[in-house]
Amino acid sequence: MKTSVRGWLLPVVLSVMVVAAGCLGGSSRSRGTSTPAGPTPGATQPGARPQATATPTPRAASQRASGGTFTRLWADPPTLDPHLTSDTTSAGLVVEIFSGLVALDTDLKIIPDIAERWDVSGGGSVYTFRLRDGVKFQDGKAVKAADIKYSFERVLDPRTESPVADTYMNDIVGAQDKLKGLVREVRGVRVVDERTLEVTIDAPKPYFIAKLTYPTAYVVDRQNVESGPGWTNKPNATGPFKLAEWVPGQRLVLERNQHFYRGVAKLERVHFILSGGVPMTMYENNEIDFTGVGQAELDRVLNPNDPLNKELLRGDPSFDVSYIGFHVGKPPFDDKKVRQAFTLAIDKETIAKEVLSSLVVPAYGVLPPGFPGHNPSISGLRFDPVQAKKLLAESKYGGPEKLPRIIMTVPGTGGTVGLDTEVILEMWKQNLGVTVEVQQTEWATYLQDLNRQRFQMFGGLGWNADYPDPQDFMDILFHSKSFNNHGAYKNLEVDRLLELARVEQDSDKRIKLYQDAEQTVVEDAAWIPLWYTGERFVLIKSYIKGYKLTRLIVPKLKDVSIERP
Amino acid sequence: MVEPVQNPAEVARRRPAQGHWSRAWHRLLGKKVALASLVVIIGIYTSGIFAPLIAPYDYSTQDLTQTRRGPSLEHPFGTDRLGRDLLSRVIYGLRTTVIVSVASVVSGALFMGVALGLVSGYFGKRVDSLIMRTGEVSAAFPEILLLILLAATMRPRILDFVRGIEDSFGFRGLVQTGIVDYFVIALAVAAFSWFGMARLVRGQVLSLRSAEFVDAARALGAPTSRILFSHLLPNISGLIIVVITLGLGGAAGSEFILSFLGIGVQPPVPSLGAMVAEGFGIGNLSLLRQYPHLILFPIGVIFLLLFAFNLLGDALADVFNPKTR
Amino acid sequence: MTAYVVRRLLWLPVLLVIVIFITFVLGTYGPGDPVEVRLGTKANPEAVARLRTQMGLDRPFVVQFADYVGGVVRGDFGDSYRYQGRTVLELILPRMWVSAQLNLAALLLVVAIGIPLGMAAARFQGRWLDPAIVTGIVFISSLPVLITGPLFLLVFVVLLKLVPSAGWGGLFDTRIIIPAVAIAVPGLALIVRVMRTSTLEVLSQDYVRTAYAKGLTPGIISRRHVARNAFLPVLTMLGFSVAGLIGGTIIGETIFGIPGIGRLAFESIFNRDYPVIMGITIIGAATFVLANLLIDVAYTFLDPRIRY
Repeated sequence: MKTSVRGWLLPVVLSVMVVAAGCLGGSSRSRGTSTPAGPTPGATQPGARPQATATPTPRAASQRASGGTFTRLWADPPTLDPHLTSDTTSAGLVVEIFSGLVALDTDLKIIPDIAERWDVSGGGSVYTFRLRDGVKFQDGKAVKAADIKYSFERVLDPRTESPVADTYMNDIVGAQDKLKGLVREVRGVRVVDERTLEVTIDAPKPYFIAKLTYPTAYVVDRQNVESGPGWTNKPNATGPFKLAEWVPGQRLVLERNQHFYRGVAKLERVHFILSGGVPMTMYENNEIDFTGVGQAELDRVLNPNDPLNKELLRGDPSFDVSYIGFHVGKPPFDDKKVRQAFTLAIDKETIAKEVLSSLVVPAYGVLPPGFPGHNPSISGLRFDPVQAKKLLAESKYGGPEKLPRIIMTVPGTGGTVGLDTEVILEMWKQNLGVTVEVQQTEWATYLQDLNRQRFQMFGGLGWNADYPDPQDFMDILFHSKSFNNHGAYKNLEVDRLLELARVEQDSDKRIKLYQDAEQTVVEDAAWIPLWYTGERFVLIKSYIKGYKLTRLIVPKLKDVSIERP
Repeated sequence: MVEPVQNPAEVARRRPAQGHWSRAWHRLLGKKVALASLVVIIGIYTSGIFAPLIAPYDYSTQDLTQTRRGPSLEHPFGTDRLGRDLLSRVIYGLRTTVIVSVASVVSGALFMGVALGLVSGYFGKRVDSLIMRTGEVSAAFPEILLLILLAATMRPRILDFVRGIEDSFGFRGLVQTGIVDYFVIALAVAAFSWFGMARLVRGQVLSLRSAEFVDAARALGAPTSRILFSHLLPNISGLIIVVITLGLGGAAGSEFILSFLGIGVQPPVPSLGAMVAEGFGIGNLSLLRQYPHLILFPIGVIFLLLFAFNLLGDALADVFNPKTR
Repeated sequence: MTAYVVRRLLWLPVLLVIVIFITFVLGTYGPGDPVEVRLGTKANPEAVARLRTQMGLDRPFVVQFADYVGGVVRGDFGDSYRYQGRTVLELILPRMWVSAQLNLAALLLVVAIGIPLGMAAARFQGRWLDPAIVTGIVFISSLPVLITGPLFLLVFVVLLKLVPSAGWGGLFDTRIIIPAVAIAVPGLALIVRVMRTSTLEVLSQDYVRTAYAKGLTPGIISRRHVARNAFLPVLTMLGFSVAGLIGGTIIGETIFGIPGIGRLAFESIFNRDYPVIMGITIIGAATFVLANLLIDVAYTFLDPRIRY
């Protein structure tokens, strides 16, 4: 009897497991987790020649230059709501689905988007936007000035919880009040008629229009938004692409918007793979059409004999600068000479070449090359170990032995603090005789301490541009009253220059003001600027045409096309 | 014919003592594979512990003219991306592995696990319930979450705290050697590994509790502590040894993975997992093709260690199990 | 028996509350703030303060705790902090399901390969095949997924081009094979060893020797007597695996591009996405306890000597 009980139980248990797996596995299949539909060249069997992507109809021939699917890797965006977008993962998608009054083109010039033109009056404080004719939401509904007003009101509504409204919309009169919940309506936004919108800002700031290119100022459809909290899963927007499908963690698919007012996209679909994988392997296996190239693959890809070399696309670097910051209130960095000594002791050229494979360009100033206001002839503090030692001896500490404990905090949880950091630590030891302790802290903790100015010296940070104006760098980072001035840097002369630049209308004079400020900041050694990103390298399949690497996140997919032989 | 009465002392002198332990040891000696594993483990542990004496270079000496070279006479394992000698870094990395795994197993499985298992199994009822329930809570937590929470988020605060102590006493360097880091990680790992051992020990104690020798000891008036330590413990020591052996291997593996993910020991203290992360990313085959030595040496060493521990643990399990000789 | 099960089940909510409490404490008083993480280095304190109030993060600890527990009881785990507008359940359940399928596939592989191998090793004890099998399996199992994963990718995907390298198609899609194998491999050693030991123990039992004496062929003896009894300790091992069924494995998921729970769990901590962290912890803990209970109950059917 015992044996018989145990006898049947085991096979039953096992078969139940198998059957359960079958049912559940089967139902998950029907839920459509994997549907390699026709126009996705990446999902076909590896090794097979990618199929012609147009559907086999008589129109196939003419559609060959327009149509097709572009497949690439991406990460799950935290949000697709343009008013909540504050990170690049979301922004990259949002700029293709939504649009606003103005946009940046692939050369980073401000171009009219929903607005066909605008006039500036009132001494530079009043912007009157004239909307284009025939702008429609993706469902066909016409876009009116009232929709823009609604969008601006929404982003400034405290209940929307926009993390970036302050930064991008604060210049509008009444915006602050609305964010604080003091008023119901923003005074500075006025609907003149169905196609005209008037925006008043609190001072004649020339960089205001640049800020409007960012998703925070994009248009949303009131009915769509009010349909419920899941509206971002079926957005009714104005951009060149519609959201066709989004399975979080798996894929996001965009589809061409036939109503787009600035020229319908050439691609039929864009497929973003969200589930991950090893990029180079997937690229070589024809699962994706595009991938970045890291330091590891660089040698291979740059080799003219390697077939991958033909698919290499080089692009200008993005606008960012990596740096090490000092807290000017904490010893020993309260003495300018100490800060300068530390800066002079680093041989950036060698590090860039030997350690970072020339993927970066040594930086001696704050504004990156190509950015408005960049000063290519800035002298900066160049490598000079002799002078460095001398300055350290001249400082109020007299030399390396009398320095207090120095800790440099960097963010991250990698297995290494970053090769450049390790070399820099070594250089300080060799050239100055100072041993700096490095502490690696995970990001959230790091951020919290950074915002509270707890660090003596902090590294591993980069600052990148959100809009093409030097105010985004200099003012936000170095004005003594700025919240992002994490090193408590205070120089009244710099403050003065920055405040003048905020409202200076003549752009040449403005640039000069920022450059003077930059010069002072660099001499004061508030920071050690380390690197600008060097040239970027990506691999892109030869049948993808029209893809441009841009230095900021701008809408660009509508000009991409697929041409198969 | 009656045998002459033997003097017990003489008898004892003539027959060599064949206790429980020496029998086990002899059995182990017969297993060649196990012996080889033991030798490997001892070799690796020794290099780790005596790293400063054995390693040809310091683990942080950079040489930017000799980056990423393959194995050579000067650098038997080659150099890494900053020109540091890989052999030395691997040896120091082993030191980290040894310290962390030993510390976590000793504090976790050995002390806490055995002690709590004994207590739980012997006293039963409320105490048993309490200990087992607490263990369940610790086991129910998804381990990776708590490990990251503890190691990654608490660590900076703990380090600041220790630095504060250093400053008030006027010395430096404690944090720099990485000792504090070792303890934070070891404790985090130990917090999760004690329950496995405790449960096994408890199981054994439960079955031995009603054995005759325990009754006899109790009848003779032996205090509880003596029963626990002198009577019960030796009988489950075989199990403990096996679990510890496998546990040391597992802890070494955990340390490797944690450092690989970046939440283990923090740089500049070297660690094998960190070296592999630096050299390999996650499955970056191009790097493997270009600089195989950067990846294969650290992984090879940790693999060897894990392999040896597994084989040894397996052999020990055979040795201590009466039914599989 | 029923009383035992009921007692264990009553313990579950208590355990969950304790788990929630501990995580809450760590989250509230530990370093790092979810709003600051969202806003990054360009945050301004007014925006931070405003968002904190909107999200209810500046309410007293007890209020937040009670509010959360109340929600969980109603099945509401809240919304993610990082993924705007998505509820915690909609984020983690599909991923846990994916991880469960993957683990199940791996488990089936381990059982299908490990059990026969273990029995074979036991049968050949004393001959060279026994240590060969064991050493071979231990060798493969000691290789970390970090190595076996890319290795399999290299061989089966790049060189042999059998399946795509990344992506997920469900339990019956071919893309599950390689990741499942990669994840199954480390677990093989244990199953093989335990099965072997257990088989050896059974083989030395009296009733088996009686069977031989009675003249039954080794084949029948294997199936009828040995297999079932040897299976019991293996069940314990499997039990532990089942308890961890919905656990993710971050390394495997990243290498093979599988949308499982491992990566989400890992990232949530660094993003301080507390609702997601709590959700994963609670569901994980509950599954663990329930699975343990099931295994313990299953034991009573398989070995009537065990009684609670």
